Amino acid sequence: MPFAIEVKNLKKSFGDLQAVQDASFNAEAGEVLSLLGPNGAGKSTTISMLSGLLAPTGGDASIMGHSITKEPEAAKSSLGVVPQDIALYPDLSARENLVFWGKMYGLRGAALKQRVDEVLEIIGLTDRQKDHIGKFSGGMKRRVNIGAALLHKPDVIIMDEPTVGIDPQSRRHILDNVKALNRQGMTVLYTTHYMEEAAELSDHIAIMDRGKVIAYGAHDQLIKMVGEETRIDLTLNTDGEKVLAAWKATQGVSQINSLDGKVTVLVDDSNRVLPHLFEEASKAGARITSVEIQEPNLETVFLHLTGRALRD
Amino acid sequence: MKIVDIALKDLVRSTRSLFLIGMAFAAPLLLTGLIYLAFGSIASGNLSLPDITLGVVNADALPADAPLDASFGESIRSMFFDESVRSWITASDYPDEAAARAAVDAQEIGVAVIIPAAFTEDYLAGKKDTVITILQDPTLSIGPTVVRDMVTSLLDGIAGGGIAFNVLNERLAANGQMLDPASIPSFFERYAAWYTDFQRAMFHSPEKAALVVTSPAAESEMSDPVRSMMGMMMSGQLIFFSFFTGAYAMMSILQESEEGTLARLFTTPTDRTTILAGKFLAVLFTVIIQGVVLLVAGHYLFGINWGEPGSLTLSLLGQMFASVGLAVLLVSFVQNSKQGGLVFGGALTMLGMISGLFTANIEIKAFDLMGNFTPQGWVLKAWKLSLAGSPANELVAPFLVLATMGVVMFAIGAVMFRRRFA
Repeated sequence: MPFAIEVKNLKKSFGDLQAVQDASFNAEAGEVLSLLGPNGAGKSTTISMLSGLLAPTGGDASIMGHSITKEPEAAKSSLGVVPQDIALYPDLSARENLVFWGKMYGLRGAALKQRVDEVLEIIGLTDRQKDHIGKFSGGMKRRVNIGAALLHKPDVIIMDEPTVGIDPQSRRHILDNVKALNRQGMTVLYTTHYMEEAAELSDHIAIMDRGKVIAYGAHDQLIKMVGEETRIDLTLNTDGEKVLAAWKATQGVSQINSLDGKVTVLVDDSNRVLPHLFEEASKAGARITSVEIQEPNLETVFLHLTGRALRD
Repeated sequence: MKIVDIALKDLVRSTRSLFLIGMAFAAPLLLTGLIYLAFGSIASGNLSLPDITLGVVNADALPADAPLDASFGESIRSMFFDESVRSWITASDYPDEAAARAAVDAQEIGVAVIIPAAFTEDYLAGKKDTVITILQDPTLSIGPTVVRDMVTSLLDGIAGGGIAFNVLNERLAANGQMLDPASIPSFFERYAAWYTDFQRAMFHSPEKAALVVTSPAAESEMSDPVRSMMGMMMSGQLIFFSFFTGAYAMMSILQESEEGTLARLFTTPTDRTTILAGKFLAVLFTVIIQGVVLLVAGHYLFGINWGEPGSLTLSLLGQMFASVGLAVLLVSFVQNSKQGGLVFGGALTMLGMISGLFTANIEIKAFDLMGNFTPQGWVLKAWKLSLAGSPANELVAPFLVLATMGVVMFAIGAVMFRRRFA
């Protein structure tokens, strides 16, 4: 069985800038695949190519077996795209918007009417269908934004950071929607820079950084990449170059990253190593003002792979 | 089918844009209406200059030895009793200045022209102090001005005749010849015929002063000077706002780009040519609807006869081609809708100005010349022909020029768009 999404050595350059470099990953039908990475990692460029907005500089990808370069119309027909920002007509009503987008996916007549009614029901806006989008709250607009991508019952849906800049309640609603769509058999490609979302939703995760896919696998597989390492975030009262050098030499410490007075240390056993970290700091005349211990997670994986925190 | 869906969506959005509705329909009608109200009466529905009531006192007589068929006074008098001005000048004879002055004071007449005795004789003798007096009701302005202009125009002609006669005499004398007195009346007759033609060519003939357009098809309607002027004014407004509407409607592609809906459209199984064609079709519909509405409104509100159906259609189609072509071209050069607002305002006002759209009822040679290089100038030419009652075959050339301009501008703009959104 072919993959629902198959990406092979996809490339995109803008002049000298290589925004995506040989990106490769797959998504089986019915799974949720997350593209995780910091801003500028190349996630949006990748999905712009998959959704037909940008032409790849090299490589290819297919949606439900249709090449995005050779059969773009067929690939697009299998795809529903939820843009990051609201992409609707504010001076048209919710129903008028859905009818228009349905027509763009080739729906007509009674089938279109029925499907618009169904989608209005799904997004919970049947009673507000005649109101102009411009009068809607941010959360309601988001729901219509998603609804417009569901009209033609696509096999694959791409959601580009749909939770950026919204309140926790709307975020929860969207995450639940993604799960519900996936339960209906839809393959979801979800981009985010929130590792919690990727961890909660995904069957597989492709981590991107600086245009490259640096890791790909299931959540547990990725965590295993960093072994049993625990992450300790500390804050020092000085810049502490001496302390960092001493910590680096401490047994059990595998990696240290320092930024703006905050130090992140990967260790094999926090219970054993942490007292040594305090001791070395004390010897160097520095004082630790805060400590936070985190079990291995995607953030730890990203740090392990790039030497930088996901949020940097 | 998707082309029509996109076009209809844009049209629905246009109808919900107060700005577009205002600029497309309200502004041109309002501006023309203001001019109309300044010259006519909208309440009565009678679109014409108030009738000029004129009294003529002609004390002049033809001297016995004058080489003329009629006195100058009689020429001036007969101009006001001529058939061509009877629809808007009601002239009466008065025996003397006192009677005419009393009639003006009593507001029985608005203007009185007093031609003194021996005016012809004094003029031929070279006396400079013989004057024609014009009395007027002080509450009137347009009527007396028109009468004064008509008299001045005729006196210019008479003066020109005198100069021509003197020059002829001097040339003959230089060659040792004398003018045969029997040929003098025919000289002045030929001069009068030439002068009339000259005045017609310069739009200063008595007929033109009365704004009579002598085209048979439009004669009855367009003989009204205000109606004729309104036609010209309205066509200027129609053209200016048609180009503006086209550009503004086409700018929806930039707005869609900014709203993110254009990118979303590109993610649907709809090719880019279809999307561009749909948006183009919407602009086309908008401009046609605007043109038809303004033409109908102009006819019923201001009594404008836009010309024969064939001529009218060619003018409207030419205007549509040119305005949409220019819209595509202009929009392809601007980066966003804010920039678009500034560019369209500046470029279209400038082009409109140098094409004579804002001075459509005045002949300005510089604008005529520059208008040959602008789409607006050619649309104005087409409307002027149509308004003058020209048959459709005379509109073919301007229409072809406009269609060609439209296609070329559209092609350049479309190439730029395809590059931008490739």
